[in-house]
Amino acid sequence: MSRLTKLISLAALLVAPSMATAAEVNVVSWGGAYTESQKLGYGDPYQEMSGVQVNWIDYSGGLSEIKAQVESGAITWDIIDVYARDTIIGCDEGLFVEFDFDNDFPAGVNGMKASDDFFAPMPSDCAVGNILYSWNYAYNTDNVNFDGNYPDSMEDFFNPDKYPGVRSIYSSAMSNLEFALVADGVPASDVYDYMEDNGIDRALDKLTELCTNPKGGCIFWSAGAQPPEQLVSGEAIMATGWNGRHFNAIVNEGSPMKMVWDGQILDYEYFVLVKGGPNQEEAMKALQYFTSSEGLAGSAKHIAYAPFRISSLDVIMADEPWFYSEQAGAVEIMPHMPTAPANTKNYVLMNPEWYADNNTEINDAWEAWKANL
Amino acid sequence: MTAEIRTSDGELLSVKLKKVERRRRTTAFLLAAPLLFFIVFAYVIPIFQMLGRSIDNAEMNSFLTETHEVMQTWDGSEMPGEDVTSTFYYELKTAVENKYHGKIATRLNYEKGGFTSLIKKTSRKLKNFDENANFLDQFIDVHKKWGDIEYWQALKRGTDAYHFRKYLTTFDYEQKFDGSIERIPEKLRINVTLWLRTIFVAVGVTFCCFILAYPISHLLSILPTRYSNLLMICVLLPFWTSLLVRTSSWMVLLQKQGVLNDTLVSLGFVADESRLELMYNMTGTFIAMTQILLPFMVLPLYSVMKTISPSLMRAATSMGATPFHAFRKIYFPLTYAGISAGSILVFVLAIGYYITPALVGGAKGILISNRIAYHMQQSLDWSLATAMATVLLIAVLVVYWLYNKIVGIDNMRLG
Repeated sequence: MSRLTKLISLAALLVAPSMATAAEVNVVSWGGAYTESQKLGYGDPYQEMSGVQVNWIDYSGGLSEIKAQVESGAITWDIIDVYARDTIIGCDEGLFVEFDFDNDFPAGVNGMKASDDFFAPMPSDCAVGNILYSWNYAYNTDNVNFDGNYPDSMEDFFNPDKYPGVRSIYSSAMSNLEFALVADGVPASDVYDYMEDNGIDRALDKLTELCTNPKGGCIFWSAGAQPPEQLVSGEAIMATGWNGRHFNAIVNEGSPMKMVWDGQILDYEYFVLVKGGPNQEEAMKALQYFTSSEGLAGSAKHIAYAPFRISSLDVIMADEPWFYSEQAGAVEIMPHMPTAPANTKNYVLMNPEWYADNNTEINDAWEAWKANL
Repeated sequence: MTAEIRTSDGELLSVKLKKVERRRRTTAFLLAAPLLFFIVFAYVIPIFQMLGRSIDNAEMNSFLTETHEVMQTWDGSEMPGEDVTSTFYYELKTAVENKYHGKIATRLNYEKGGFTSLIKKTSRKLKNFDENANFLDQFIDVHKKWGDIEYWQALKRGTDAYHFRKYLTTFDYEQKFDGSIERIPEKLRINVTLWLRTIFVAVGVTFCCFILAYPISHLLSILPTRYSNLLMICVLLPFWTSLLVRTSSWMVLLQKQGVLNDTLVSLGFVADESRLELMYNMTGTFIAMTQILLPFMVLPLYSVMKTISPSLMRAATSMGATPFHAFRKIYFPLTYAGISAGSILVFVLAIGYYITPALVGGAKGILISNRIAYHMQQSLDWSLATAMATVLLIAVLVVYWLYNKIVGIDNMRLG
């Protein structure tokens, strides 16, 4: 036996045990409190139940990494948590498994078949819904400018004469255009129809009014943690943001903030299954559990994002207070859900296709607007 | 007659000298070779490959080669004929079978918005097409946008194997289908504004750095070593801190409820209601960038000033010059090399900055590099990103060339 073969067999001996362990599934998500909620909500329970190890990997979105894995043939990811737009593109490019939805996913605990139990139709054949989250705005209840008179509509956000103070808005066009149109009187359900017809200009005019008003003014946030920080530091009197972050600041950190749900934008998050992944079969089983009524309800125990299944809400409601954190203890989560009836009186449904289509124009117009403020 | 000089082993001295010289040069080259290879393969070649993307559209052309060829005879004045539409249909069909129609959709979307959904919808409906009927009508039936001639025009130019249009976009111009070059609609003009702002910020920061660094460097150069070392550490300290940490610290200091404003309010200089706006505007950008880039100005200035003998100034004053006159006529000209080296360093670094201005500059904190990053990471329009990067690179090279012309690169003192 040559020295080389000895070395190789030694290496094989060392590697073999790790290869022989039980199956595992690699799930890729956005990290932070969100991944934590997924891990605690359905990752760990599934691991305990099935004996399959669930590994969580962080990424920052986009399809470039998985594309590189598929092209080089060295796929290590099984399940990815993605935006609607990316399920469409990835499906088009053949990166993900196409589902036979009602056969692949179990019916809800309410007995409804999967395609009816999910809150909205899937954007592509490769997607299975995960959460709904919201873009809404919050204000600092301690701010002296309010003087006991608090805002409760999207119009108020755009009315610095009534509520003087700096606003913090997202640094890209997404969400701002929708909010501006709603504040300008466009019915929330028709926002994207108006966009096609000069709506961008109209929205930008509305934003100009707000940002150039000496009583108003705008600053911009780009990371989800910023809006609550800016509200608490007094840098802004009102800020748009993601409801989960606002909720976290209010409930876990006890910040003097309140959310306003009027004109909120409901946005979705999905899971996809990588085609030809290392553990595709195990991953499919895991995915079925993750997206079951109980699975999706599980993550809502740890974050205020709504499960995509309607039946998951039944699971939660039967067992309120459902949310639990060390700082806040047990909290009734239903009223904080973006899909709660009280919060969906007037909402916009995000249209990823419109953004995919008009990406360049929207962004150029937005940056030009910002540059000339 | 001059005798030929030979070495002890009988060789001609001149030949031997050349040999030795050659060996020395080879050794020197071999010593530098690893670095050279590293730079060429890891830096120069990738950069040029990347820059090539600004005009290269070969992949897209290969997806729709025949359509592009058939379209060469189409003048774009009226809707394309069946030769074009049928070729396009068959090539799109191949694309769908081989799953690269997604790529076609995104690339064409850079040429004209709306192509993403147009190609996708058409791809889905392609199997319903009757291959014996009129293709254009069927395309229009699938999506009314196919009835808009601009989409067909965009299809033609979007499949060119190479083009220079991205360079026009870089300066907010566009090429119309008939070849004329026009400015894009006013509401979409962004890049020229950003170019000007970038240059303004770079020049302004360079100037601020100069104003602040000159006295510090002078002080450093005349202080006894034990004090100057301490001061030098203060200057260098920012170098040892991560850029993001420094930027975030500025945010803590400058914000409305920040340390600086709190101090001013408690000292009574500023009323609580009218706290200074030091962040999310140009002021913030200038303060943070000047602080971060200051060492790059101090070091070259210091190294030059250190070599200026104090006796020169004494000589000037002893001959009757006022201190100011002596400074202007003697000291200042002697520091030119340091000023120019520092300025070019700071300017070149400042022109490519984007994280700091984006964090502390608010709406006005977007510079041209932010757009490059945006097109690299978000829109994935790499050709436009590289076109902008090429222009930026050329701008820096021009500055370097001007510098060499005016000052001479040999006079540069970097410390």
